[in-house]
Amino acid sequence: MIDVRNLYKNFGKVKVLKAVSVKIEKGEKVAIIGPSGSGKSTLLRCMNLLEDPTYGEVWINGRLITPVDPYLHPDIIVKTRTFRRIFRLRYDAVRCGYMTEKELEREVIADIKRHDYLRRFEGGEYRKAMRALSHKFGEKPDNVRRGIGMVFQHFNLFNNKTVLQNLTLAPVLLKLKTKQQATEQAMALLRRIGLADKAHVYPSTLSGGQKQRIAIVRALCMDPEYMLFDEPTSALDPEMVGEVLQLMTELAKGGMTMVIVTHEMGFAREVATRVLFMDDGRIAEDGTPEQVFGAPKNARLKDFLSKVL
Amino acid sequence: MGNNGERNVIELLWSYRGMFGHALLVTLLIAVAAIAIGLVVGVVCASVRVAPKTNIVIRIIDKIVRLYITIIRGTPTLLQLLIIANVVLLPIYNASTNILVPMIAFGVNSGAYMAEIFRSGFNSVDRGQLEAGRSLGLSWLTTTTRIIIPQAIKTIIPTIFNEIIILVKETSVVSYIAIFMSGKQVYDLLGLSDKLGLSTGEYLAFLITAALIYLVIVLILTLVQKIIERRFSISDRR
Repeated sequence: MIDVRNLYKNFGKVKVLKAVSVKIEKGEKVAIIGPSGSGKSTLLRCMNLLEDPTYGEVWINGRLITPVDPYLHPDIIVKTRTFRRIFRLRYDAVRCGYMTEKELEREVIADIKRHDYLRRFEGGEYRKAMRALSHKFGEKPDNVRRGIGMVFQHFNLFNNKTVLQNLTLAPVLLKLKTKQQATEQAMALLRRIGLADKAHVYPSTLSGGQKQRIAIVRALCMDPEYMLFDEPTSALDPEMVGEVLQLMTELAKGGMTMVIVTHEMGFAREVATRVLFMDDGRIAEDGTPEQVFGAPKNARLKDFLSKVL
Repeated sequence: MGNNGERNVIELLWSYRGMFGHALLVTLLIAVAAIAIGLVVGVVCASVRVAPKTNIVIRIIDKIVRLYITIIRGTPTLLQLLIIANVVLLPIYNASTNILVPMIAFGVNSGAYMAEIFRSGFNSVDRGQLEAGRSLGLSWLTTTTRIIIPQAIKTIIPTIFNEIIILVKETSVVSYIAIFMSGKQVYDLLGLSDKLGLSTGEYLAFLITAALIYLVIVLILTLVQKIIERRFSISDRR
């Protein structure tokens, strides 16, 4: 399961993601749609930490790949210096019987969250609690990324490697497979997409559609549990969009968990089991394709759909 | 008459061939050592500059590297040579200026330029290449060494050779100071031509000879550059 908790992403002063939370279960095919600049790609890129979130946590299969975000853990906030100071300042309210200690604690935590009061240094107890949590659940991003394939808008095949080397490089370097195993698997996959004859050419000689299908296969060579697609057809000539979407549809039918940022509404409707509509850094609507395309509730979504459909 | 004079000049030049050979050796020795130092310093500094700034140590080193590059690029080479010869290395190579001094001076000078060249090469590779590598679970270091650097080298070969050529010619600046090799004073190409030209009265002839030798060195370097470039352009063809 990909579990995104209260994610914020700022690029300088621009707030791209604002408190995004979403859970993606195994086997789901999630399409993320929305106007450009709404944070779709950033959300996707945060899921495998190509982008470091400003606040919030990302959990993959119960492992935490971002740093611990203290704001999500009340039991950590109570160990901070800031909490103790504010708590002490307002303790008169308890002494005079206006509220119980528990109520005051809850109020102070809420205020700290609301005003972003936490500082870099919050004392040893806080540091110990943070470390304990990241020690218990934390996982190196590199290890988690192996299980998450990513397909980019601009393909990003390694230009200095042949197609076959592109496919076998990572599995062999990471010692997941021997060179022979990796080559066999790569050739089998290339045959499946009808590009076995291109195994020994360099990417610069391929068409956009071929490059993108090979990029998908490159991700598949890592035997990923999840596949993230970042506008996979946006940089393609129109006549090549079909071949890439067809491969993705086959992948979906094979039961792969997929998250797809796309402008192909027809594809989203057909293949996705769930559609997220993002607007202004938030998930504005979340539902089945029937709900989102058939009976949109959000005004911005209605507006968006009337423009793209 | 004039014909005779020309022959005399050529004979005069030819009689100094041994000294010219020695001066050429000195120039090449300084240049090669400086290039070697420059490449090493450049690679190290560029690595620091492009590495992800994850901890405080690398951030401090990065600041120092930036200061070094700014100072070296912002001051004349001759000035750097004089400072290094007369101030920095004086306690080590007292009084007589050892040939190691210009080697280090030019190496340190070139390192700053090389660092910027390597950095520009690294940045010239599309960011997507790094992201693709990282998304497959490869570490930053693995992706950089396997994917980014091979592609970067291709784009920086012309600039690196440019820097090497400039460096070879710039070694002529050492003629400004006296250099000693194992206790004996030696001259680089320009220094020798200058000295002989003045003492024999055939100043122009000696300077042109030096110019021709520099030109030949640079032509050879250009040839080497072409061969290397052809080697690295495989993935563009086919």
